[in-house]
Amino acid sequence: MSRRAPKGEYIETDTGNKVARKAILVGTQNITLGGKTVIQPEVMIRGDLSRSSASSGGSGSGNNTAISIGRYCFFSRGCCLRPPGRFYKGHFTHLPLRMGDHVFVGQNSVVQAATIGSHVHIGEGVVIGEMATIKDYTRILDGTVVPPYMTIPSFSIVAGRPARVIGEVPEGGHEAFELRELYKTVGNNVQPAPA
Amino acid sequence: MAPLSPYTYIQCPCSDAPSQARPSETPTRDIAADQDDDDRTFDPRAPRSNYSLYPLEYLLYCEDCHQIRCPRCVAEEIVTYYCPSCLFEVPSSNLKSEGNRCTRSCFQCPVCIGPLQVTSLETPPDPNLLAADNTSSGPSGPYILACAYCHWSSIEIGIKFDKPNGIYSQLQKLRNGGQTRLTAKERKDRRKEAMSTGSFASTHPSNPGSDDVLDVESQFENLRTFYSHQLSESTSAAPGLSMSDLGISSPSSLARLMNYYNVGSLDPSKKGLGNSRGRARLGTFREALDTEEGLQLAQLDESASISAFKASTLSDLTTTSQRLSQAESHLSNLVSPALHGSSRLTSTLRPIPVLLRTKRSKRCPVCRHIISKPEPKVASTRFRIRLVAGSYIPAVSIRPLRVPGVTPPPPPDGLLRPLVPAQYLLTFTNPLFEPVKVTLATPSTTPGRFASKVTVLCPQFEIDANTDVWDEALKSGSSETSRRRDEGSKAGGVAEVGKIWERGRNWVSIVVEVVPALIKTEGGEELKEDEDVLEIPMFIRIEWEADATGAEVGAAPGTGKEVREKRELAYWSALGIGRIGSLGQLG
Ligand SMILES: [Zn+2]
Ligand SMILES: [Zn+2]
Ligand SMILES: [Zn+2]
Ligand SMILES: [Zn+2]
Repeated sequence: MSRRAPKGEYIETDTGNKVARKAILVGTQNITLGGKTVIQPEVMIRGDLSRSSASSGGSGSGNNTAISIGRYCFFSRGCCLRPPGRFYKGHFTHLPLRMGDHVFVGQNSVVQAATIGSHVHIGEGVVIGEMATIKDYTRILDGTVVPPYMTIPSFSIVAGRPARVIGEVPEGGHEAFELRELYKTVGNNVQPAPA
Repeated sequence: MAPLSPYTYIQCPCSDAPSQARPSETPTRDIAADQDDDDRTFDPRAPRSNYSLYPLEYLLYCEDCHQIRCPRCVAEEIVTYYCPSCLFEVPSSNLKSEGNRCTRSCFQCPVCIGPLQVTSLETPPDPNLLAADNTSSGPSGPYILACAYCHWSSIEIGIKFDKPNGIYSQLQKLRNGGQTRLTAKERKDRRKEAMSTGSFASTHPSNPGSDDVLDVESQFENLRTFYSHQLSESTSAAPGLSMSDLGISSPSSLARLMNYYNVGSLDPSKKGLGNSRGRARLGTFREALDTEEGLQLAQLDESASISAFKASTLSDLTTTSQRLSQAESHLSNLVSPALHGSSRLTSTLRPIPVLLRTKRSKRCPVCRHIISKPEPKVASTRFRIRLVAGSYIPAVSIRPLRVPGVTPPPPPDGLLRPLVPAQYLLTFTNPLFEPVKVTLATPSTTPGRFASKVTVLCPQFEIDANTDVWDEALKSGSSETSRRRDEGSKAGGVAEVGKIWERGRNWVSIVVEVVPALIKTEGGEELKEDEDVLEIPMFIRIEWEADATGAEVGAAPGTGKEVREKRELAYWSALGIGRIGSLGQLG
């Protein structure tokens, strides 16, 4: 990138990702972004924690994605995405963190899940434990702690420490998970929202 | 007091019976209801309103009745039962025999309700095998259930498993501490064996209280066997009645059973009735006498519990919520001993099998048409039918109107200032592909002890159709559109009476002005919950023209024209504007 290029707060990629300059992405070669994803400042994504980095005999092949992210995801300021780790046959190893489309992660939340589906809203200050599985159309309220290995089925509203399903997403609530509009509100040259 | 984010709740018509019916079926009553509506204002604070007000996304819509339906009035039908933890579907036939909990290996922690994981106690033997799949050569047993949240494990109750799968059936055979236990099925089999080798009558008195403590399921099974036996015996004694094949579940058998017991009733009013028929058969019927017949003696000697309490610390005792979740899973036949008051010590806790969850379809309560139907497969999030109110009635959003240079800066606490007029923008978004006419009505003051003044500056307006974005882009040059765009008072910067504020593709915003009441209580009287919230009851009427429904199209064939019909929908809503501060708070 040219040094003289005007510097906005965000770097906008060809596929429409908006990555804040102040976001901390480690091991970018192991991170895949589906496009149109917003990464706000102070977000940390730990692509360095990939499977091959843990195993001694890593062949270094291309297939060591640590974090894969779909389209229209939104990572709020201060949140952290970290591939889950576990002891497997005496070795500590990391497994990839996979995430679908339209996933919102609130401020200062930590996500260490194995799988997060599409249309998932994770509130502020949430902790998603290692190897957790979160299915589509799920809303995790602020301050929830999802224990490791927990599975949360689709259309759940989840809260508490430890997390429990406290409600069901109603039929009319599916569209609210769409993040296309939110995507437009962030970036270097954003049109002001209609007054 | 915390500020409040504005909200819009909508009232379902099921809260007043006449309008729930299809309009065509009750034409006369509708007129009467309309007249009633004119006199009556809706009070969102009334206790009943709690049960009829819903956010838009919770409401469904019946296309046949042209009416809103809510979670309270729809009729639900279960499409699929599944375990929310392993996501396996459970056939409804299993449900009858196995109960409503997962019978695989899904358990919740009895201490913190977190999910329990099957974990091997043994250190893995071969560390060099770092295969991607963990199925082929996993670690070997014994296995335990462990909570990754609070670090409880089944070791604490002395339970280990031989196999990593089918934990439910393994747990059924294990008491806390590790001793094996007969399951209800095994008990039954054993009894059958006894019945086939010897006679039932001769074996059972010889082993009174054989297994002293039964779990609920076994006790019920024993009692049922005992009473159906009794019933068939008494029937064969009276050959006039052939009820033996009806079984115990038939209501007439139950009535007869009850009749036997009324004989000895202490209620003098029933004596005359019971005596004549009952006396004849007195003595043929008796109560259960031992464990095999389902008799369970209450364990009144609690000295063991008391000495256990003396030896334990506070952390060894269970909490109310822990005991409650144990009690809820009693019927799953995993808790031992099953009778009340048992799990007072954490050492008696049992892992809680995960409660199943359902996928449900919903029917309109009036015309019985299905208005929501999910795909039955657990993994699918699709719906075959999903008629949500949000695709028929406009969404209303509320936010403060701020005109730079005119509106004073908002108070930092986010509260409304009493007696100071404030303007809010209501934005109505039309989901329909036809333009709609909206008419609004509010009482001039809000109901309740503290009446705030409400003025809707433009109570009648039209919203354009929810057309394609591209159509709109092509059309935007036309004078018609720009004229309509200009009609809003936003350009002038001041809200005007009778004028909308702004118009967009399929939305219109209007201004509502409120003068918040002064919240003042006398004589140290407490404010009721949320009494300081400014909430406006608003009647919304929407009119539009739509393609006629199927039946009416068929009635006018050959005209070649699209048959259009007028539609109308009217309902009450409650708009939460904000919380009113006190004069003192604002200085
Ligand atoms: Zn209803
Ligand atoms: Zn299960
Ligand atoms: Zn626990
Ligand atoms: Zn209907």
